[in-house]
Amino acid sequence: MKTVATFTVNGLPHEIAVEPHQLLIEVLREHLGLTGTKHSCGVGNCGACTVLVDGTPELACLTLAMEVRDKSVLTIEGLAKEGLLHPLQQAFVDYGAIQCGYCTPGMILTGKALLDDNPDPTEHEVREALAGNICRCTGYVKIVEAVLAAAEVMRKGGN
Amino acid sequence: MEGHAADNRKSAVHQGAEVAQFSVVGTRIRQPDGPAKATGEAKFAGDISLPGMLIGKILRSPYPHAVIKSIDTSKAEALPGVMAVLTPDNVAEWKTFDRGMKDMPLVAGGYRVPSEEAVVNKVARHYGDAIAAVAAVDEHTAEEAIELLEVEYELLPFVLDAEEAMQPDAPQVSDLAPDNVGKHLFYPYPEGDVDKALAEADLVVSGVFSTHKQDHCTQETAACVAYLDASGRLNVWSQCQLAHLGRRELASIFKMPVNRIKLMTPFVGGSFGQRGAVCAEPIAVALALRSKRPVRLVFSREDNFLGLESRTGFKKIDIKMGFTSDGTLTAIKTQMIGTLGGYMGCGPMSSVIGMTLAMGHYRCPNRFGEAHMVMTNTPVSGAMRGFGNDAMMFCIEQLMDDAARRLGIDPIDIRLKNAKEPGEIASMGLELESTYMEDCLQLGAEAFGWHEKRTQAKKDEGPIKRGYGMATMSHCTGAAPLYLEHSNAMVKFNEDGSADLTVHPAPVGQHIWGALSQICAEELGIRAEDVHIVTGDTDVTLFEYGSDASRSTYAIGGATLRAARQAKEQMLARAAEMLEVPADRLEVKDRVVVVKGRPDKTVTVAEVCYDAIYAFGGRATNFAGKQSFESTWNSPTYGAYFAEVEVNTETGRVHVPRFVTAIDCGKAINPMAVEGQLEGGLQQGLGYALTENFIVNPKTGVVETDNYDSYKVPGALDMPDSTVLIVDKPDPKGPFGAKGVGEPGMVGIPPCIANAVYDAIGVRLRDLPMTPERVLEALTEKTEGETETVRGE
Ligand code: FES
Ligand code: FES
Repeated sequence: MKTVATFTVNGLPHEIAVEPHQLLIEVLREHLGLTGTKHSCGVGNCGACTVLVDGTPELACLTLAMEVRDKSVLTIEGLAKEGLLHPLQQAFVDYGAIQCGYCTPGMILTGKALLDDNPDPTEHEVREALAGNICRCTGYVKIVEAVLAAAEVMRKGGN
Repeated sequence: MEGHAADNRKSAVHQGAEVAQFSVVGTRIRQPDGPAKATGEAKFAGDISLPGMLIGKILRSPYPHAVIKSIDTSKAEALPGVMAVLTPDNVAEWKTFDRGMKDMPLVAGGYRVPSEEAVVNKVARHYGDAIAAVAAVDEHTAEEAIELLEVEYELLPFVLDAEEAMQPDAPQVSDLAPDNVGKHLFYPYPEGDVDKALAEADLVVSGVFSTHKQDHCTQETAACVAYLDASGRLNVWSQCQLAHLGRRELASIFKMPVNRIKLMTPFVGGSFGQRGAVCAEPIAVALALRSKRPVRLVFSREDNFLGLESRTGFKKIDIKMGFTSDGTLTAIKTQMIGTLGGYMGCGPMSSVIGMTLAMGHYRCPNRFGEAHMVMTNTPVSGAMRGFGNDAMMFCIEQLMDDAARRLGIDPIDIRLKNAKEPGEIASMGLELESTYMEDCLQLGAEAFGWHEKRTQAKKDEGPIKRGYGMATMSHCTGAAPLYLEHSNAMVKFNEDGSADLTVHPAPVGQHIWGALSQICAEELGIRAEDVHIVTGDTDVTLFEYGSDASRSTYAIGGATLRAARQAKEQMLARAAEMLEVPADRLEVKDRVVVVKGRPDKTVTVAEVCYDAIYAFGGRATNFAGKQSFESTWNSPTYGAYFAEVEVNTETGRVHVPRFVTAIDCGKAINPMAVEGQLEGGLQQGLGYALTENFIVNPKTGVVETDNYDSYKVPGALDMPDSTVLIVDKPDPKGPFGAKGVGEPGMVGIPPCIANAVYDAIGVRLRDLPMTPERVLEALTEKTEGETETVRGE
């Protein structure tokens, strides 16, 4: 039985008929065409599908679409404003933190939740925040550097 | 930060004095694909949607060995929305194939693997072998249809262990492999009399080692989209690292001329050798042909573990090395037993490549090696970053340490003593072009504090034992002369002085577009951002062997350099006319053509290109270069690795707090990209050494590791503090002096950690992975070096 659910995705309101068992990742990717949210393990082990729900990182592969009813979802597509990359996106590009790019959306959104909460994290705090996000390409070195660099830019009020 | 990307803080580039001054090469440019990947805009295969597209799903065997007697498809076919069902009986019109694509003129003087795998298989040869597939209007319907397939299996006896499979009464896995030995292969460059040399050696060190099947764990799973268009052309979005070979394999299976197939390469979420074989393509294409609709097939994580090739594990590597008392290596003898799994794929060559690279790493006059590559009812083995060199170096570098200790020589000194010099014959049987292993050892030891750490007394840290280890390695740049090494590139100038470079590397994350744009721009005298990469479509690109064997920068870069030179010569000829001087008096830098010694006499590249394209009177031309590259030489990359470990003698856990990698990869085209390869290689090497373990239940043949909860890859908190040092001295033959750097990051890691573990607890761990259980077991036994013999002892 489908239910019509309303929720906000990247600032835009959506009204979608969803099945009770339908996962958020499917609604985002297949219904809304937001394929920046990546599917990798499908069972909550890797963080590739991370999105922010009311600012908190959630795994879209484990979240039912119904659970985000009346909530606000931010996916990677909603981060750049008016064609300008978010400081985290810019830092990922600048620091070579992106190799294949498959973990990138999840990494950037997890990093955003961290920095919104803790604008001046230590390297260890960054690693702790990213501990659930697997990257098979970079060894995390440049990802951690990029998050720290973005934190600095954001502290200085840069965008 | 204009133009260049951010500087990395910990790592460093040590430029040799003789390095030429470049303007684009050697700079830390941002990758052209960065913004697309940072914004979610980048399309991977699984992101592609087409009108009317179906979703594919695969049914996999729950048994390690079984005949599919029958599949009743009636219920599945009756389900609304199911558009195609493939069973072993209804795919018989299509040819069987070799997933490793080695049944082609790729391996010089090597073996040919007969095609043996069908689109879906009548006999399941391993747990998870594909036996049926469906395409339906959506994922849920496809899943339901898979559940509705009723399969009648006839169970066959199975064998999982390579040594057991070699026994005379073992169940037979494949008709192509008598006694289950898929291939009996030999080290291709034997030399001297190894038995005599071992008998005469002052010291023989030996050991029996084993390595395991590591999963690539690409973050993106295998995926493919395929459809037959109205004109009868097959359109395929494929992750294949070797796009043109993938197209050829599909043409062969589905009996089509190659130019009826348009194979497109989207962004690929990691590969590391796994997509060097055809993966999701055959089933996706078959479903598209049957349903006459576009089909998207995306593997689940479990599909990836079961249905794709992963690193070839070696059940047994028995190595003996002989030395004179001054530490000179005199002999290496190797016997390997490798586990191939249910199909041959890319697996067999991991033995040959591994022996070739590792046994040729040091100067050694007596060498012999052989390998039995054995078929078993387990998932298939193939190529992963290192391609056997990882396994062989794991053994050789531990034995090197044993020898150093027995002979009272410093581990670094014994390696330097046996290191090859330029002009000697390198591992691949060709003259060694360049080696700066000594620089690697020096830089690495200094940054790590090797000499101080090795000599200072160890603090008492209770159950934690601290140790320091090092290892070296060399790895081929491309695989000449054993594999085909053929690349092509086209370069054309546009009227504003920008250039388009047409090439077909696999965009698997190795920053290859950036590196090729740098090589192209350096030669053309323009900026990296002036070069647009045209790629990813076999309709447009010339033949390209593809991206593997750490070859892309070197070989595709080599073709790029030649094509750019050709286009530049055309451009300079026109500039010479415009400036009324001979072309050899011109040079081009930063978009401007200058008469040498006359800085006032210039014309911009844009002006020259405009003049050529918008010309009347028979002078119109579009400057363009098209060149092939086939290397008949091979320049190995050298590396030195240093690790600090903490072994917890109560839990058996090995922790690596610090790691230093020093690399001689020739001239680093983009040091940031080189660091990225080595830092990422460390993550994979660390997992391979310590935590990752592909487990097959010994009783049932069921694969127990099918996702990241059971198969542990290192996360951000597990990584050591890592420093990467780049020697940065040019190779004489690589484009602007570059050598390969894709695989070296991972090859030296396991022996380096094993040597540090020995230093910590005095126990040799000869089996990978070095799990806590194995560490504890080894500590209890603590019977070190039972196979070492010293003459006269
Ligand atoms: S795909 Fe959701 S956590 Fe891995
Ligand atoms: S960049 Fe490839 S998984 Fe992180």
